[in-house]
Formats: sequence, C-alpha cells, structure tokens
Amino acid sequence: MSPPPPAARRTRPPAGGRVFGALNVLGVYGLVGGLFALGCAISREFISPDNLMNALRAVTLLGIVAVGLAFVTYSRHYVDLSIPGIMALSGTVAVWALKFGFVPSLAIGLAVGALVGLVNGLVIGYLRLNPIIWTLAMMSLLSGVIRWAYAGRQIYPDKATAAGRAFLELYHHRLLGLLPLPVAVLLAVAAGGYFLMRHTGYGARLKLTGSAYEVARLTGINVRRAVAGAFVISSLTSAAAGVLLTSFNKVGAVYIGGGYDFRTITAVVLGGMTLAGGRGSIVGVLGGVAAIALMNNVMSLVRVGQFVLGDFQQNIVQGAVFILVVGINSFARRRTGGDDA
Amino acid sequence: MEDIGVALRMVGVSKRYPGTLAVDDVNFDVRAGEVHALIGENGAGKSTLMMVLAGAFDDYTGQVCLGGTAVGLHSPAAAKAAGIQMIHQELSLAAPLSIAENVLAGRLPRRAGLLDRRRMLSETRRHLARVGLELDPQTPVEEISLHEAQLVEIAKALANAPCILVMDEPTSALSRAEVQRLFEIIRRLRRQGLAVVYISHHLSEVLQIADRVTVLRDGRKVATEPVAAVTAAQLVERMVGRSVSGLCARRKTAPGAEKLVVEHLSRYGFFHDVSFTVRAGEVLGIGGLSGSGRSELARSLCGIDPVDAGRVLLDGRPVRPGSYGAAIRAGLGYLTEDRKTQGLALRMSVAENVLSAVIPRHCRHGVYSPRRGGGLLARLIDRLSIQPPGPGRIVSALSGGNQQKALLAKWLAADPQVLLLDEPTRGVDVGAKVVIHQAVAELADAGRSVVLISSDLPELVALSDRIVIMRQGHLIGQLDPAEASEASVLLAANGEGKLVPA
Repeated sequence: MSPPPPAARRTRPPAGGRVFGALNVLGVYGLVGGLFALGCAISREFISPDNLMNALRAVTLLGIVAVGLAFVTYSRHYVDLSIPGIMALSGTVAVWALKFGFVPSLAIGLAVGALVGLVNGLVIGYLRLNPIIWTLAMMSLLSGVIRWAYAGRQIYPDKATAAGRAFLELYHHRLLGLLPLPVAVLLAVAAGGYFLMRHTGYGARLKLTGSAYEVARLTGINVRRAVAGAFVISSLTSAAAGVLLTSFNKVGAVYIGGGYDFRTITAVVLGGMTLAGGRGSIVGVLGGVAAIALMNNVMSLVRVGQFVLGDFQQNIVQGAVFILVVGINSFARRRTGGDDA
Repeated sequence: MEDIGVALRMVGVSKRYPGTLAVDDVNFDVRAGEVHALIGENGAGKSTLMMVLAGAFDDYTGQVCLGGTAVGLHSPAAAKAAGIQMIHQELSLAAPLSIAENVLAGRLPRRAGLLDRRRMLSETRRHLARVGLELDPQTPVEEISLHEAQLVEIAKALANAPCILVMDEPTSALSRAEVQRLFEIIRRLRRQGLAVVYISHHLSEVLQIADRVTVLRDGRKVATEPVAAVTAAQLVERMVGRSVSGLCARRKTAPGAEKLVVEHLSRYGFFHDVSFTVRAGEVLGIGGLSGSGRSELARSLCGIDPVDAGRVLLDGRPVRPGSYGAAIRAGLGYLTEDRKTQGLALRMSVAENVLSAVIPRHCRHGVYSPRRGGGLLARLIDRLSIQPPGPGRIVSALSGGNQQKALLAKWLAADPQVLLLDEPTRGVDVGAKVVIHQAVAELADAGRSVVLISSDLPELVALSDRIVIMRQGHLIGQLDPAEASEASVLLAANGEGKLVPA
C-alpha cells in the first residue's frame, strides 16, 4: 500500500551517466570517421593501403599499452606514469636474458614488468599512496636503475646467436605469413581485456570499486586486491609492448617507451573512459587509439607551404585534445548533477 | 548589555519537502541573554527549522524577525549578514591552518595589501579569551584537542559578532568535564546578552543549561516551557507519541537457537566490553543517543573497523576480526546508515547495486553472468516494490525511499544469517518505511537474525523483540520487554530508565 511515486519521477529521463557513456563511445568513433573523411579530403595519399597500414602500425603498441592502462583508469586511479620505465626495463632485461634462450628471455622480460606492477599495486592498493605521485617516483627509480645497471650504455641483441636473431625478428614476424605479430598481440590483449572487464567477477568488482570505492569496501569487496590487480594488468601490457618496441629498435635502452605515458592516457580518456572511474569500455579505448593514429597521420600529410607538421605539432595537438576531453568530461559531470559517488 | 527584548522571532514558519511538511506552522522565539533549547526526536523538524534560520531554503513560508525587523533569510549569506551563526556537530575548521587563520577566515586584517600579522594575532587572542582559551593563535588546528577545537569553532562564530548563536549537538565529542567548561562559556555569553539556540538529544544537558525549551514533534511545535517547570520525564512524554502511521507491530515468535554471540567486545575510545546474544528469528533493537557507539559497534562487529578485545561467534564459530569479507562469507551483513556515500554506487544501475554483494555467486569458472541473478533481482524489486521497477535504472534517479529499498534489496540478495541494520529508514517516506518494516519482519520470520540500530523510536519499539540500550560506549542493559516503549527507550538512553541485565 505504498503511495504511487510522483508522476514527475517516472517521466524523468534516464540518468546522465549512461547517456554520456554511450555518447563517449559513439563520439570517439564519430571522431574517427571525421578524421578519416578529413584525411581523404586532404591528400590522395591518405587512403592508400600503405599509408593506412603505417598509421595502424604506428599505434599498435600504443593500443596494447592503452588496454592495460584502461584498467587503472577504470579503477579510478587515473594513470600509471611508470609505463615508459616498465617498457624500457622489460625490453632491456629481455635483451640481457637472451643468453638463456629466446623464450626464457621473453618470459623474464614480462615477469620483470609484472613485478614492477605488483609493487605499484601493493603500494597503491594496500598502502593507499597517491597513484600519480607513486608511479612518478617509480618511473624515476626505474630509469635510474637501468642507467646504473648498464652504466649508461645501450645493449644490443647478439646477432651471432639464434636467440638474438629471433628477438630481432620478433617485431617483424607475421603469423601465417600474413598478420603482423604486434597486431596479433593487440587483438589478443584487446579481446582479453574486453572479456576481463565486461564478463568476469573481477571486472564487476573493479567497476564497483572504480565507481564508488567506499561502497565497494562496505559491500565486502576486496578493494585493495582489485586496485592492485589493475596495476599488474597495466604493467603486463606495458612489458609486452616494451619487448616488442625493443625488438623493433634493435636495442635495449632507457629511452624506449618515452612518451607512452601521456599518449596512452590521452587515448584512454579520448575513448570515453573518464578519470572519474567505473565508466567506459575497451571498445571505446580502441576507438581512442584509432583516433590518435589518424590524427597523427593526417597531420603528417598536411603541408603548409614548405612546412611539414611533425612530432612537435603532434605533441601540441595531443596535449590540447587531452585537456579538451577531460575538460568536457568534468563539465558534463557537473551538469548532470555532479559526480555522485 | 542589551535590554531583555526578543532577539529572534519566527512566526508561522513552514517548510515543505516533496511529499512531507517538514516544518509546520512553527512559532519560535529567543530573547537576548537566553538559552533556548530545541528538542525532538529524529525527523521532528529541528534541523529543518534551523536550516531555515541558516538561509538554506529560499522557499520557506512564514516570517522571521530579528531584533524587531522582518528579514528574508533566502541564502546562507543573507543569514550570516543578519547576524546568525551556526555551530554544527561536525567542525568546520581547516586542520592544517593556524587557529588565527581559522578564526579570522575570510577577513584577515590587512595593511597595505599585506597580512597584518600583529593585528591578526592580537585579534585572535581577544576572541579566544571570550571562550576561555589561552592558546598560541599560531598553533595549527590539527595540533589541538577536539575540545579545544570545539571552542575555537565557537570563537570563530563569535568573531562575526552574531546576535543569534545556534549550537547543534555541541557536546557529542566532549567528555563530562569538558561539557561543564562549555556550559560555563555558554553562561558567560548569555550574561553578555547573546541569544543562544541549543539543540540536543541529551535531556540532562538541556535541563542544566537552557532557560526555556521548545519541543517539536512531526514538524509541529508541541510546547514551549521554562525549564524550571519541567522534568525529563515530562519532556520525553511530549517528544514521543508521534503518529505511528502504518507501523506493523512484530508478532512475537518464539526465538530459536543462539545465532550471534558477542563477548566482551571493545574498541577503545568507541565502545567497551559489550556482550549480547541474538537468537535465530529474533530482532534485537539497540537503542541509544547519537554518539553512544552503536554504529561503531556494528562496524567492528562485522570486521569493517578493528576490534581491540573480545570476540564474535556466529553459530558457535568465531568470526575472524578485522575482515569484512570473511564476516560476509561467515553469514553477516551490514546495511550502512549512509546510503549515499557508503551504501549505493549512485551512478550504477539498480541491478548492478543489488547484485554487487553476491558477485561470486553468479560466477562460473571466473565468468560473471549477472543474468543468473535476474530472477532473484525481479523477486526483490517486486517484493520491495521498488519504483520505477526497471532493473536498469540508474540509482541516483530513484527517490530516497526507493534508494533505501534498493540498498535493503542488496543485503536481502546476500541473504546473511545475521543482518545488522543501521538506521534502515532514515530520511525515507512513510510508504517505503512500511515496505522496509515488512521485509525486516519477514526476514526474522524466515529464521534469520536481525540487529536493528535506529533512532526512530516508534520503529525500534515496534520491530524489536528485545531492546538493549547503549550509552556512552557501554551496553548498560536491556529494557524489560513488557515495558518497552518510546518513552522508556528515551529515558534509558538518557541514563534515567529502569533496566534489567542484558
């Protein structure tokens, strides 16, 4: 015999969160389409298979890293700034470990990356340190360790050994002679990440943790473990990308992975995964990666007189895009009644 | 000294929330040099009336006169400008800043655009002296005691030269000696001609400090009387007797075996040496004033907060302390008193929230399929008549009552052996209340045990099979079931009732 709810409540539109979530995923693919059209309009070169393949290859590793980082952002812990350090460390250690054979070298490279992620996860998840400050410190620590261990030198895979040759071949390997290995890794990581986030108990717990940490804790969810897991996942994808990038560069060095911290977080938020946590999807993140690929590619095709747009301009545009997206997101949140837990 | 005129007069003040009239045609006045206490049960309208005074609403009706002139209190700034200062239960000081910066916040003395340090310190010393504090004004607030911080808060309010000072439960964090010091200061302020509104659940304090007392019930004024002419028992009588629309009295079943046994549980500084048992099929009510340690007891009991001593047994097996996950697996559940920040993820759907406590149950080989919980979800939505009934609705779009039902549904889905309910109907409409009460009764009838913490006395009395009373961190005893009533709970919680050992 409860009284009927006021009519006004029934006609109220569904809450803002879901609408904006959908808009974000649709929005990023709209942006991808727009950039594609722009590319076609600017240059005939753009639509060529070679150019598109280049654009894709340029962001394959970015995509791998972004899928992992998405878990950190989803858990409302913003970003893992130690990503470039993990990439450099994993690649360098993998080159060093080639003396144990090719497969062990890959395994050791990934394991070392995961270990860093575990430390990040334990410190941030269990000791509740600020994720930005801690991973920034970890980044500094890792680059110091690499420089110190190799006395500032770079280390090269030994072409004289079978393992060394296999390692150099890794990036360029094609599965069944067709699918480039990095693309295959991206597809596998994306599919795995999508499934983990969307269809597992861990994904459901992480969503509640990211949406409302205190609520998740008082629901009996092991929030610390959920957060720690996100950092381990992020470190694993970074390690995989680091090993591939080292194979591509033919050298293990401290600068490998530079810039991946900011580019990945840009891709993640561009893909509709807001810094407020618990929102967005891997599908959106891949859209964000594609948008960055096209943005950079289109810019490289633009010629203003003698002037070619290069890395610097791309950096400027990416920075501006990041600020714009985060700004729009927080504005939209405030408009839809605030970020209510 | 001012004359003994009326500092504040509220005439026919009403405030309507959607669905309820929270304050209904209330007349209230305070004279200069008077402490006027405002009492009433939770939901009686005290805080809404004071929020009108603080300028929280621009849609109240009625008239407010300050010192004889009518004023419109339609914004917090307008209320402050009119000389009304509030001191809330939670302190509003910035911990890392110095006392001086806090006391003079927003109007630090300046000279040539720079901070006039000497004047800041001397002014602060003057304000602190009014409340009997002799602290270095440069001490950061985080380094002083809670009691001192409370006095600094008062000094800060006084620094704005108010004509009305409203104190809302100012003693909840203070020891008995500190309360007496606070009263000394209030008396001194009264002599200086300040008009003080004093809100408290503690009747003994009201009788000690106030000159007059006004009792509110269901948004209406019941009485205004000189304190000298009333006793605690008479005040209780006026406070209770709220309309008990639709309250279902629990039919008293024979309780089963002992389910939950709490032995000498302590968390130092919060509650001490608490022991009680709950049987299967029983609703145990815990009565007490806010700050008596009831919520803290519940949180420690199920492992959310630590325990310093004692143990908890469920079906004879000890529950691992300090781990909420282990407690839930053992069969405990805790419905938090704060649904918005601790109970529900507001921007997730009803389905996601309700099923969030039973994620492992709907996982097979690590694959989570919430669809398996669809039947359960539909049954709960139907049984609690959550409106609108769509499981995909985002919780923040629901009314408060339906949010609370969703929160209860979450714990009914988990189906714990013992469910601890902390203020399960706070701030919900009557309809939702009835549904929630029925669900609690059904839960007990199904052989589950319920521990009910509620400041809603009619609810506590109607739903509980037994009522124990907590006061100042101690479980002081059990009410004789034959004599359990709103009045007896309220008197016992104030330390004046007749109790039998628990």
